[in-house]
Amino acid sequence: MDEDQSAEETTFVVDEITTVIKEAVESTIGNSSYQHSKISQWMSNIVESSLCQLTKLGKPFKYIVTCIILQKNGAGLHTASSCFWDNTTDGSCTVRWENKTIYCVVSVFGLAI
Amino acid sequence: MSDLAKEKAARLLKKRGSVSSLGSHEVRAFGRKKDSISTLSYMEEPGHHDDIPRPTVQMENTYRLTSVRRFPVITVKDILKDVLTSYLQEEKYEPELCRQMTKTISEVVKARVKDLMIPRYKFIVIISIGQIRDQNIRMGSRCLWDETRDNFSSHTFKNSSLFAAATVYGVYFE
Repeated sequence: MDEDQSAEETTFVVDEITTVIKEAVESTIGNSSYQHSKISQWMSNIVESSLCQLTKLGKPFKYIVTCIILQKNGAGLHTASSCFWDNTTDGSCTVRWENKTIYCVVSVFGLAI
Repeated sequence: MSDLAKEKAARLLKKRGSVSSLGSHEVRAFGRKKDSISTLSYMEEPGHHDDIPRPTVQMENTYRLTSVRRFPVITVKDILKDVLTSYLQEEKYEPELCRQMTKTISEVVKARVKDLMIPRYKFIVIISIGQIRDQNIRMGSRCLWDETRDNFSSHTFKNSSLFAAATVYGVYFE
């Protein structure tokens, strides 16, 4: 029983994290249009509230949360990540969100302690 | 022994098979299916290129108080500068090319950082390449880690038609 519990505690659970991130993004820029003056505030809000929620999960992980906010005007963007870590315990998750004027891509990397 | 070889070949084929279907928004990692992700992250099995199957090393927690060597921020920044300029100096933005380029560059940077042989450090390399079209873009990150031992290094590159941002995070495994 204890072993099962500890196994669950120390692996990166993608679904849980996706929900947390989606909530954070929705609550910050849910219905807004792109506004240059507010961008840095939105960015800080999204990243900090995601990190807050992640710490509340109480798992033994170090987290890296990155966020890209992009104005929609037809330009293309490609992102790739390459990681050197322990595959059994570490993981990553990316959430893409958009509305009429903004693209937002949030990635979370979790590394087990 | 032949069974092991057959198994490895089957695994490699399966891996290749799933990589070629990366055109759709799906990433498969060792049978663990992830939710659809639209940023393509290319996952490679450790020891993928070796013919001899190496036993996986399980790292245990150490009782050291600090790391032997700290994350070399400036060295890594030089690596990023070097790789980005050499790969992207003459390129124009093209969707297919840049898609491949992000994956290639992230693998190259990861290999070069691994060559630095910094013990007990895990790395995450993130590369973003975008088209320049009078739009605004903002990238930010926050990390929950050990301030004294973990660090990051980043570099941006720009030419007339594209921009590239590269970041390497180094996290100590205590």
